[in-house]
Amino acid sequence: MDNVLEVKDLATYFFMHDYIIRAVDGVDFTLGRGETLGIVGESGCGKSITSMSMMRLVPDPPGRIISGEISLKGRDILKISDDEMRKVRGNEISMIFQEPMTSLNPVFTIGFQISEVLRLHRDIGKQDAITEAARLLRMVGMSDPEERVNEYPFQLSGGLRQRAMIAIAMACEPTVMIADEPTTALDVTIQAQILRLMRQLKETKDTSIAFITHDLAVIASFTDRVMVMYAGVAVETSTVHEIFKNPLHPYTQGLLGSVPVLGDRKVNADGSRKLLNAIPGSLPDARRFPRGCRFAPRCPKAMKKCWEAEPATVEVAPGHQVRCFLHHDEVRVISKRDLGAAGKRVLKNQQKNSGKKKSSADGSKTDTPTARN
Amino acid sequence: MSSKTETLIDIRGLKKTFPVKASVFSSKSIPLKAVDGVNVQIKKGETLGLVGESGCGKTTVGRCVLRLYEPDRGRVWLDPDPAVVAEVEQFDLEYEQLQSQLDDVIASGRVRGAGQKTRELRNQIRKNRNIARRKAMQQDILSMGRDQMHKMRRNVQMVFQDPWASLNPQMVVSDIIGEGPHTYGTHKGARLNKWVMELLDKVGLPRNAANRYPHEFSGGQRQRIGIARALALTPKLIVCDEPVSALDVSVQAQIVNLLISLQDDFELAYLFIAHDLSVVQYISDRVAVMYLGKIVELGTGEQLYNNPRHPYTISLLGSIPVADPEIKTQERILEGDVPSPVNPPKGCTFHPRCPNRIESCSQIIPLLEKSRDGHVIACHNPPNG
Repeated sequence: MDNVLEVKDLATYFFMHDYIIRAVDGVDFTLGRGETLGIVGESGCGKSITSMSMMRLVPDPPGRIISGEISLKGRDILKISDDEMRKVRGNEISMIFQEPMTSLNPVFTIGFQISEVLRLHRDIGKQDAITEAARLLRMVGMSDPEERVNEYPFQLSGGLRQRAMIAIAMACEPTVMIADEPTTALDVTIQAQILRLMRQLKETKDTSIAFITHDLAVIASFTDRVMVMYAGVAVETSTVHEIFKNPLHPYTQGLLGSVPVLGDRKVNADGSRKLLNAIPGSLPDARRFPRGCRFAPRCPKAMKKCWEAEPATVEVAPGHQVRCFLHHDEVRVISKRDLGAAGKRVLKNQQKNSGKKKSSADGSKTDTPTARN
Repeated sequence: MSSKTETLIDIRGLKKTFPVKASVFSSKSIPLKAVDGVNVQIKKGETLGLVGESGCGKTTVGRCVLRLYEPDRGRVWLDPDPAVVAEVEQFDLEYEQLQSQLDDVIASGRVRGAGQKTRELRNQIRKNRNIARRKAMQQDILSMGRDQMHKMRRNVQMVFQDPWASLNPQMVVSDIIGEGPHTYGTHKGARLNKWVMELLDKVGLPRNAANRYPHEFSGGQRQRIGIARALALTPKLIVCDEPVSALDVSVQAQIVNLLISLQDDFELAYLFIAHDLSVVQYISDRVAVMYLGKIVELGTGEQLYNNPRHPYTISLLGSIPVADPEIKTQERILEGDVPSPVNPPKGCTFHPRCPNRIESCSQIIPLLEKSRDGHVIACHNPPNG
């Protein structure tokens, strides 16, 4: 399988007034032709910012991609100009967003919004574009598409809106499609319909999909490979079978134990109620990650070493990468990152503020529950 | 778990409609049937799960039990005495008859003596209602007066879905948790303080949380505060309305564990409302599946999972992805969307999407009936027997 997308050491930071949020802090992955990569993690782990970075849609300021390389079919799309990027976006790489209501424009018809993409990227007339839009709507399984092209988003149900979103994303038959929680806002029966549709499209068009979700069950049924993210880094990457059968990172293990399985026994052998294997604690504050491994404060197997140094991502078995000292001893070497003018400004403000209220800044070391989104 | 035989809550014939505008520009309103005749019991110390897709009326049922919405019809018996229930049922039956007589008289139009007859019937109905209300007042939450409601609220509490919106941002945690005991005078002064600390320990929050404000906590911790608040009056029933759906997976598991362990400590019954069938199945003793304002299937978690009978439950289970890549779910995907509850389909509301429909499905509304294996389903033609 040749890789159509290669992401190397991607880092996206947000420069706020007096602190830096390291939303994505060194993520590497590849996406093969026709492959589906699941990116899974909890809210705030950087999975959405990763996808926004791939589309170069990170709001600047305050956000900025400060390092990395995203090569789409051999071309680094972080180096090309904004004009060139406009030609790539929606044409070679497209995106399905989570909230179909807020991501469709309420004042334009569905047909117009689909034809907009076609007319931007292809030499096609207005009327032909609408006809093509109707064909696309039929492809995503909408009944009477000739009527639907004249309808507005509010006239459609959630499932149909998401189908329209998919039609827009598939309009130019992109090489890579990014789906950011495409079924989270939908009911399970509608989710099943949308997943079936995406599976069919993927098989007929040979599209590569980066599928972002927090739902492990969707990951299991839909993807080929999985990348588990935690606090801005990828902690484990492997095939979907490996992740579920043989999870190596304690976070992946905890995540899998947290989900109740339908039809599981609820009572232990001694008659007491069975509890889920929950991960204690909550996500670390993105403003100050722990010094060593970012999962160490919640990890049941944390060693002394974990608090002192950050582990590197190492391939421990063919195609199975993990970032944990339990499986190797390599320490991560962080390449020096140029934070630029914005970084300097933040650091200056930080110094100013810490001088003002020095005493109040110390309390954050212990397990004070102040993690905020 | 021997106490699981007595009925704690008995919901009978619960109906609730909301008026919705017919169109943007019209002043007419049409009724939206959110809950359309729900009958269900919760036993002491039991967890009853309520699942369904958005708009099926599961939240409305939960809110009607606490009278956060005022239901149109039905009774919610709390700790019912069977004799009283039977007596009131008689009156309700009589009321139905009188009402239909009245409707007939009105429909027959302006004939001689119609006015007289109407007046008489109206009087009888009024009398009937008054007696029924007086008899039901002590036990039926829906006919309680102010004083009884005040007493009742000690026994029935609620945990809300959104931990960001359901805690007063201007109150510190100890005031939020202590408000109930303070109002009811169950704990005072130093004892109230001690009780709040005890509750914080129970829900797994540090004691120094007492003097902080809700905004200082994460989502999971806020939900713990909400649970401590619900526990403060040692209620018999807690209505949990999607208590974990706003939380991350790892935190969700913590809260589910907490709810399970509290149940044994406080001998609680839960009405657990959620859309996630795997969580509901995990926590509940019995599960009720709702579709468009009606319960379509009711059974124990195992029954429902291993042997679902109603076609809707079967397809609901079939559309849930399984967290195991080895298992490919059998493709039983429902077509179409949930119909609008403003204008629900005739007969069985599920029939337009049902793969198993027969002729009578579009005519006759199926009733909840016990099938051979102890399941309760509402279906004319359940698959496999």
